[in-house]
Amino acid sequence: MNSGMIRQAVRRNPWAFLGPATTQALAAALVTVGLCAMASLDGAPLTVAQRARMVEDGSTDAGLLFLISSIYLSVLIVGVTMGTAIGDQARDLALFRTVGATPARTRRAIALQAGLVAVPATLAGVPLGLLGGAAWVHGLVGHGIVPAEVTFRVHGGVLPIAFAVTVGTSLLGALIAAIRPSRLRPAMALAEAAVARGRGRVRTPLGLLLVAGGSTLSVVLSGLDAETADNGGLLVMLSMCFGTGLLGPVLLRVAAPVARLIGPAGRVAADNVVARSRSLSGALVPLTLAVGFAAFTIVIGATTEHVTGVAMGGADKWLTYSGTGVYSAFAAVAGVNTLITVMRARGRDLAVMRLVGATQGHTLTVVICEALVVTATALVAGAAVAAATLLPLLHTALGTWVPWVPLPFLIGVVVGTAALVLAGLALPAAVMLRRPPIEVIR
Amino acid sequence: MESVLSLVSVSRRYRRGVLALRDVSLEVPAGQFVAVMGATGSGKSTLLHCAAGLDRPTGGRVRLAGHDLTGMRESARTRLRRDHAGFVFQAYNLLSELTVRQNVTLPVRLGGPRGRTVDEVLDQVGLAGFAKRPVGELSGGQRQRVAIARALITSPSVVFADEPTGALDPTTGGRVLALLRAAADRDGAAVLMVTHDPAAAAWSDRLVLLREGVIAYDGPAPRADEIADRLRGVSAVAA
Ligand SMILES: Nc1ncnc2c1ncn2[C@@H]1O[C@H](COP(=O)(O)OP(=O)(O)O)[C@@H](O)[C@H]1O
Ligand SMILES: [Mg+2]
Repeated sequence: MNSGMIRQAVRRNPWAFLGPATTQALAAALVTVGLCAMASLDGAPLTVAQRARMVEDGSTDAGLLFLISSIYLSVLIVGVTMGTAIGDQARDLALFRTVGATPARTRRAIALQAGLVAVPATLAGVPLGLLGGAAWVHGLVGHGIVPAEVTFRVHGGVLPIAFAVTVGTSLLGALIAAIRPSRLRPAMALAEAAVARGRGRVRTPLGLLLVAGGSTLSVVLSGLDAETADNGGLLVMLSMCFGTGLLGPVLLRVAAPVARLIGPAGRVAADNVVARSRSLSGALVPLTLAVGFAAFTIVIGATTEHVTGVAMGGADKWLTYSGTGVYSAFAAVAGVNTLITVMRARGRDLAVMRLVGATQGHTLTVVICEALVVTATALVAGAAVAAATLLPLLHTALGTWVPWVPLPFLIGVVVGTAALVLAGLALPAAVMLRRPPIEVIR
Repeated sequence: MESVLSLVSVSRRYRRGVLALRDVSLEVPAGQFVAVMGATGSGKSTLLHCAAGLDRPTGGRVRLAGHDLTGMRESARTRLRRDHAGFVFQAYNLLSELTVRQNVTLPVRLGGPRGRTVDEVLDQVGLAGFAKRPVGELSGGQRQRVAIARALITSPSVVFADEPTGALDPTTGGRVLALLRAAADRDGAAVLMVTHDPAAAAWSDRLVLLREGVIAYDGPAPRADEIADRLRGVSAVAA
């Protein structure tokens, strides 16, 4: 059994890694933006007074903050998309286990593949990040947030750091995702590949623990002073995000029965969501993050303006919203990617449904019902993450428990999430449904 | 007797000019078990797909359960299939992440008629008590029996089977064939089964031999050894 065979099998479907590759490219771009923003601010020929003012109003930290958030997001999202891609290959992995590859060898082959995907992705992402970084610095100057002397500079460590982040996160994601398929006994492996069910014995309790911890912290922070609450906010968000991420399959399984209310198509959709809760949760995590991030930023700004009656400065607004916009877009792209990966693996299942009597329209309706379940779950989970992070800050700083949610934002986030999920599920399904079922099954 | 499946001068030409079926005519009455045999590439699957409305013939007419499939739109053909046809394939074609019950009831939940109850058909195929098991955990023979239960739940007029025993050992295959036999005898369904195996064809009432897209023999099914002889005959000429 040589590793070439393994590599070939993993590569049999090159599109399987499109999701991770796209998110890695975006992660590399984000890291590049953060690094170059830092370099541009640090390297600008500023007077002592100018620099002191920048340190005072916190804009020197903007680049560093952006960098840290980017790395955090990348770890989470690249890991998740890589996990979905590897999960997709479970059948192939089972095959090389049956022909004699050891678990360790299987894991190495997967790791190699994951690392290899990161290289072209990073090389594509870094130039994108340079463009984005230049635009961002330009925006900072344009909005008068930093002096005009600040010009765009490329950080010397862009390539190695970007590579470290993408390769590191994708290796980590791939290795974790490969634990199950590589450990299975070969005889079990093929049957297991068809079912790919896990009992989530570690995952669910850990998720519950993190969500409980985040919620408790949120309650505790609400009783403390504004500054402590502000500092602790990040920790609340981190544990809530990771926690809901781990609980993804459970959340989908709980939400799925709601689809049964829609009718016969909804009942089939509910079964499908429950059966595929594990792979769908790979999309749920980034979507929840996108919703949570956006809701947190928008609602805190809107509530502050509403309570104090003081409008946020244009520059401040630009800084927060541009950052949140980029993060949410990144997470949204990752979510759509994962959905497409999950859907593409179901061509045969859609054909079977049509074979036993579902028309094209009927099959698509089932998929749309599934999309609605995912959308609703992402919205509720995202709202929960935002609320846990937000409420202590509102209460301690503004003395209110009532968040102010602008109606256009509410409509935008609901419609936007639904559109993303439909683009990730219904669109590829519609394309696949154009092929006659008997050609797919043959 | 009125036939539930009727093919009149059916032809199928594929895009690259291959004429897979030429002028094939076949009348199948309710309760008859027909085995279709022939060399690889002789057009067996094409015949089955055209008869079932899964594929459109390029010439001739197909009637299924009294409905003319010719010129019918895809969605109308799909509904006709759902209401009057059952399918069993060599590769099972089940949704492996769903349970046995979810798979068996799929045609009904997609709007098809509920001819029989799940418990009834599962009992008939010997899988009572398996309803909650995920299909991915079952053996090949068990999966094929789930597929048969799914085919029978709507009480179809015709059951179409393409090499249903192709992936099974003789004993397991025999069980599957006995179930198809019972579908014809007990439930009065017409069964159209494509097979390579003379022993499988011996379960049928009628044998249709295809050679290069043309019916070379159509008559009562003889014993397995005679079927093998006939099959060698048509294959030798075709080769
Ligand atoms: N989708 C297709 N496109 C072109 N030719 C096809 C297609 N399907 C089948 N054929 C050709 O039609 C002939 C009959 O095929 P098929 O019905 O599958 O035969 P069998 O099932 O008896 O092996 C063969 O020559 C085959 O190559
Ligand atoms: Mg065939």
